[in-house]
Amino acid sequence: MSNRFVEAGLSSPVNLTWEVTLACNLRCRHCLSSSAEPAVDELSTAEALELVAQLHQDGVFQINFGGGEPFMRPDFMQILAACHARGMMTCISTNGTLLTPERVEQLSRTRLVAIQVSLDGAQKSTCEAIRGQGTYDAAINALELLARSPIPTSINTVLTADNADEIHALQQLAGQLGVTLRISRFRPSGRGADNWEELRPSPAQLVAFSAWLADNQNIRTGDSFFSLTSRERQGLGLNLCGAAKLTCCVGPTGKVYPCAFLQSDRFTAGNLRQNSFKEIWDNSEIFTSFRGLRIHSCEDCQRFDQCHGGCPAVAYHLKDDIEGGDPECLERCVTSIAAANAKESAA
Amino acid sequence: MTAAGIKLHPACRVRQEEFGLLFYDSRGPSLLFAETGRLLDPDYFDRVRGRGEFPAGLSAQQKQALQNFISTLLERGFLREQ
Repeated sequence: MSNRFVEAGLSSPVNLTWEVTLACNLRCRHCLSSSAEPAVDELSTAEALELVAQLHQDGVFQINFGGGEPFMRPDFMQILAACHARGMMTCISTNGTLLTPERVEQLSRTRLVAIQVSLDGAQKSTCEAIRGQGTYDAAINALELLARSPIPTSINTVLTADNADEIHALQQLAGQLGVTLRISRFRPSGRGADNWEELRPSPAQLVAFSAWLADNQNIRTGDSFFSLTSRERQGLGLNLCGAAKLTCCVGPTGKVYPCAFLQSDRFTAGNLRQNSFKEIWDNSEIFTSFRGLRIHSCEDCQRFDQCHGGCPAVAYHLKDDIEGGDPECLERCVTSIAAANAKESAA
Repeated sequence: MTAAGIKLHPACRVRQEEFGLLFYDSRGPSLLFAETGRLLDPDYFDRVRGRGEFPAGLSAQQKQALQNFISTLLERGFLREQ
């Protein structure tokens, strides 16, 4: 990855996350956006289709749809069809409960969609403690349905303290189902902030996970674990935060943010009801500040070239300091474990 | 026997940036930044091309550089032969 070109600024994102609705039929404890009811004044169908046209015009390669549960939007298939008609690649993050054979068959007609089904444990009890009753079977049913289709499908698991010991079993489950495994980082935003202390992986779990990732290079992480990247995985993905440089987030009401974990007024880069996407991407002060963000406090770290200070969103949520360095980076995890061990030895 | 043609892999996209061409592979996803300037238009990859088929007016040196570049794209999976 050439940071030189990324930091100089691209003409548009390579991909973006579009949270098409806040509506969700589940109440997952780690939900990054506290999804439940639809947001007041979500983008209309006409506005959504206009945005698709703009993103295509701007050269955005891929749209990653999330929410909320995207299929809660009655016009979601229409929005997808508009993307595919323009040759735009799409990825849908879904809880799987609303995937029907008819929808899968319809989506199978294009080769431009990939689907991630959320499953937060290899054990039913682990998954349902996070996502709610009935979610495990619903996700497995959706995964089985998708595995019989040509749609590239993955299990998407958010790494938490509860499921960290089940990652290998999830990998095996994915293999049995004929899909792949993708693991995402748990961040303290939305309901995830309310349940942070209970669900956050321990430093030991994060270090173990980093080592496991090094041995399992086929596991995708959506680049959300670059703060933990081992030397073995260097070159497989990003080594810096891509927010406002390679990607960004569009919220349900048309507000644009650097990333999905920073959807607040403070980080609003613009509103698509007032400006075009291109105007926001090119001129937003928030985006300009993210492109110039340097985590100086991390520059002396031996791992700086591997993560460049890690995830600013986690630093913001945990330390209220966007420039403060990722509190859960590999170096800090290792240091924290060593300090705990030293304390234990001294006691 | 006809020579194999090359085409952008269906999972890949390309666009023009100031530095040159930006390739995106949705299977990784992964990116490739090519400092090609304006030497090659992204539209070049829209259809099947012969291995030595380049825009008119290029010098021998530029053609050789593009040949090497095409080989890299093939190796990295952004292009495929058909």
